[in-house]
Amino acid sequence: MLRAIPAIRRRLRGGGDPNAARIRRRQALANKAWQGLPYIRIVLFTVGYLWLLAIPSSQFGQRTYIDENALQPGQVHTYWSWNDVHRADRVLEDLERLRDQNATSNEIANYAVGEFEKIGIPARIQHYSFDTVDGVLEGTNAYAVMQSPRASGAEAIVISASWLSRTGEGDGTLNLRGVATVISLAQYLKKYSLWAKDLVFVISDGYLDGMQAWITTYHGAAQPNLHAEPLTLSSGVIWTAINVDYPGHSFSHLGIFFEGLNGRLPNQDLLNSVSLIARHTGGVPVLVHDHVDPRDTPNTPSILPAWLPEALKSNADVQEYAVRARNIVRHMNYQARGAASGVHGLLHRFRIDAITVFAVPATGPHGFHSLGKILESSLRTMNNLLERLHASFFFFLLVGPGTFMKIGSYLPSVILVGTAMLFSGLGEWVNAGWTLASPPPLGGDEKTEKASAHTSWVQRPRPVLQAVSIMAATHLLGVLLFYALNSGLVPSTVIFLLFAILPVLALQLVSSPAPPSAPLATVLKAFNLCFASAVISITSVLNFSLAAALAVFMGLPLTVASSSPSQPKRVVKYALYSVLALGWLVLCPEETRKAIWNWEVLEVWFAPFICIVYTPLVLQAALACSLP
Amino acid sequence: MDGPDLTFSALVAARLLLAYAPLPEALKHDHQLSSPLTSYSRLREGIYLFEHGIDPYSGGSFRHSPLLLSLFSTVLPLTPYTSPLLWTAADAVAAWALVRIWRLRTGAKTTSRDGQVAAMYLLNPYIFLPSLALSSSSIESALALLALMFACRGRASASLLTLACLWHLSLPSLLLLAPILLLLITRPVSRLALPQPLGADLKRTLPLLAEFSAYSMLLTFASTLVCGNWDWVEKTWGASLTLPDLTPNPGLWWYFFTEMFDHFRPFFLMVFSVHLLIYIVPICVKFQHDFLYAAFVLIGVLALFKPYPTLSDPGLFISMFSLFPEIYPYLRHPIVTALIHLHASLLLPLFNSLWLRQGTGNANFFYASTLVFGVGNGAALLDAIWAGLRIAIGKVEDGYEVVQE
Repeated sequence: MLRAIPAIRRRLRGGGDPNAARIRRRQALANKAWQGLPYIRIVLFTVGYLWLLAIPSSQFGQRTYIDENALQPGQVHTYWSWNDVHRADRVLEDLERLRDQNATSNEIANYAVGEFEKIGIPARIQHYSFDTVDGVLEGTNAYAVMQSPRASGAEAIVISASWLSRTGEGDGTLNLRGVATVISLAQYLKKYSLWAKDLVFVISDGYLDGMQAWITTYHGAAQPNLHAEPLTLSSGVIWTAINVDYPGHSFSHLGIFFEGLNGRLPNQDLLNSVSLIARHTGGVPVLVHDHVDPRDTPNTPSILPAWLPEALKSNADVQEYAVRARNIVRHMNYQARGAASGVHGLLHRFRIDAITVFAVPATGPHGFHSLGKILESSLRTMNNLLERLHASFFFFLLVGPGTFMKIGSYLPSVILVGTAMLFSGLGEWVNAGWTLASPPPLGGDEKTEKASAHTSWVQRPRPVLQAVSIMAATHLLGVLLFYALNSGLVPSTVIFLLFAILPVLALQLVSSPAPPSAPLATVLKAFNLCFASAVISITSVLNFSLAAALAVFMGLPLTVASSSPSQPKRVVKYALYSVLALGWLVLCPEETRKAIWNWEVLEVWFAPFICIVYTPLVLQAALACSLP
Repeated sequence: MDGPDLTFSALVAARLLLAYAPLPEALKHDHQLSSPLTSYSRLREGIYLFEHGIDPYSGGSFRHSPLLLSLFSTVLPLTPYTSPLLWTAADAVAAWALVRIWRLRTGAKTTSRDGQVAAMYLLNPYIFLPSLALSSSSIESALALLALMFACRGRASASLLTLACLWHLSLPSLLLLAPILLLLITRPVSRLALPQPLGADLKRTLPLLAEFSAYSMLLTFASTLVCGNWDWVEKTWGASLTLPDLTPNPGLWWYFFTEMFDHFRPFFLMVFSVHLLIYIVPICVKFQHDFLYAAFVLIGVLALFKPYPTLSDPGLFISMFSLFPEIYPYLRHPIVTALIHLHASLLLPLFNSLWLRQGTGNANFFYASTLVFGVGNGAALLDAIWAGLRIAIGKVEDGYEVVQE
């Protein structure tokens, strides 16, 4: 046994000089890594993309739970009764009359203020206007502040309803019952002395614009294109907020919308508490967004595509996958664009945890009675908080109403794709630095074979400065692109052509490095891949959905970008990559217009991010393709 | 006006435009760009108190040197119009000093790389962002480069006076005293590839040291005269030693001391402070053939381990890489170091805002990113030390490898 140890040691250290052994070991390891690099890359890409596809699988996820003990959701008796429902109906009648009279924003706001003041809650109106590319956007908000009877009012809870419902992202459907709920709730809550926080009621005009004007003014945040009256009533720090959206006549389910601006999510405790209360106090089933599960309701059409074989369609796992995938895709669609899925999303910017409860329109069975009870109990729960919501998760994927995924179970997918890109970039960098050189032939033909065995790798200079300058120039071009879009003067087709052709013209100014140094295309590709990988990995922490979208749009395309010896091939490749970089200008003008609106009015950085980061990165790949 | 000067003027003009561009006010309060010791708003507050007859050092917020206090409350008043000009001027002076050092090192009057060296300083985001935030760390960087430049030119008095001023502004800069004294008795030309034992007589540094002490004492008394008492010593120099303000910064100290039990504080403060000193002698011995390089490495040490760093400190170190192009082929893992820096510089602002603006993260997020940043700075420092020593061995034959220099 003891005799074996020196043998093992000899085997590990390779006998002789330990330094020599170390070098040999390091070289062997480097060789292995270099030879294995293509496989490592393929494995990383495959695992990363498969992981992304596997996220909706029923194997992932865990049950939601309440983390903050102070919340105590659903532990109170609610007193909201049919009398209050009757009062809500009266308010609704008034609102319907206002709607039928085609009342102006001002009249509606004045009506709301009148109702609040009738019951002794101080209320005011606020006019505002936004200057946007599409013209001026005006409106009037109404708000009321009910002072906390038991505490100093250092903290506040906001209960809001916007005049337009979130149906169709503010397509004009009115949120009459939502507004009626908030006003009648104010009348009802005023009777109780148990509030430890101020209750702020907001009836905001429009869909998102009204609340944006109110909340930015409340926090004194300056926005250059917003002209809003200052608020004359004030309250404390807003910790939590709940937005009521009830567009239909009755509702069957309560949908929870939680995505905020720029991909920020509220603390999970808030949505978990409200959905717990909805189920147990209100008796209303809860949904993620407004997706009714076809398995629970017999008459809804299946969400699985019709062409799938029947065996798969009836498989429980496949059905579960489809249901989860629908929730996740909807969520990613909001989060990646940085869009708010409802009025609540505007409040996230100011560290307010907020959600929208959406009464999914149906013929029944629920109405004001259930909604009132749920809201009363939810407000009592928020009233219990002693500090900001912090215990539960801020980074999560809600795959079902009672199931979520922790960040650790979905983040690696994107990080793996980013790592694969990083390795590809490092591989390109090494390729750029070395070239195979054969020594001059020694003489006779019989020695040629021997000579070729002696070819050696020699280092060559890499045109780092030129590559970095090209990259910096494309990002500057991105800034120009953003300003061009923002001005709204130039048609998007012209912008597309201009910005697709400009880089390749500008490239003619860059002198190609002389033969002994590495080709510019290789170094540019190496840097491009490394930078793109850094952008993807780091975005994933802030906004997973955006990072996942980037991983899909940039991961493989940037990795396979390469120059080619034939000129026509290079031109075709360049054209394809410029379509990938700038195609959205022509292909989705509506989406572009919305993104610009979101930037102008709501300060969502999706539009600048695409213009200044995504487009230049893909253009760099296009340039790497076009270089000889 | 010839080529290089034209490039330099264009760069300074671009920086001036940037300085007067409408920038978000939040920049001035960014934790990465200005520390409690260099923050512009605190400087303004101190000057306001001083001008209204209140001792600015009686509170806890003002920690700038009395030298800055007297300078900005008399000859150079700070207004929204003058401050961007002053800070851009500081950067321009620093870049000019960097170019002068480069020329002195090569021994040429002008070189083709002059523009590149200036651009490396003026366009370095680690340098220009703190300058846009009007952090007084820009002034410290300028003084450090000026002191080195005068030392390269052999102008002992100017160099030592500048260094004394720098020392008053930032206590840890004292690390640079040894290499600057030694640089004064040698020449700044590159001897990295041909190392040789120190030829000069070490005794010649003694009068220089005495001169430095005289200047420092003079400035100390002047400061006391300005303030009327000795409180400033504890508030300015003391802050670097006792870390009273734990406002987050991109360095490695603050989080460590937020987590520390009070009875361990003095011990670890001593360890952290003394730890900085142990680098001086080994680095000066190892690079005794090229003290400019020793100063460069010590600036890297400061960037990594300083108590209240801002992005200016690593920025100065990185910009100084442009003075030593001969080491580029010998850098150990330049791409890896650059990538760590890239990740860190994206993570720092992101995690800072997740913690303090969005409220979805916590202090550990930002601390993790400062650790990544520390790894990046450490990697750059190790690269610099490795390459500076490795160059002496030169190109090795195929099949041979350098294990240790």
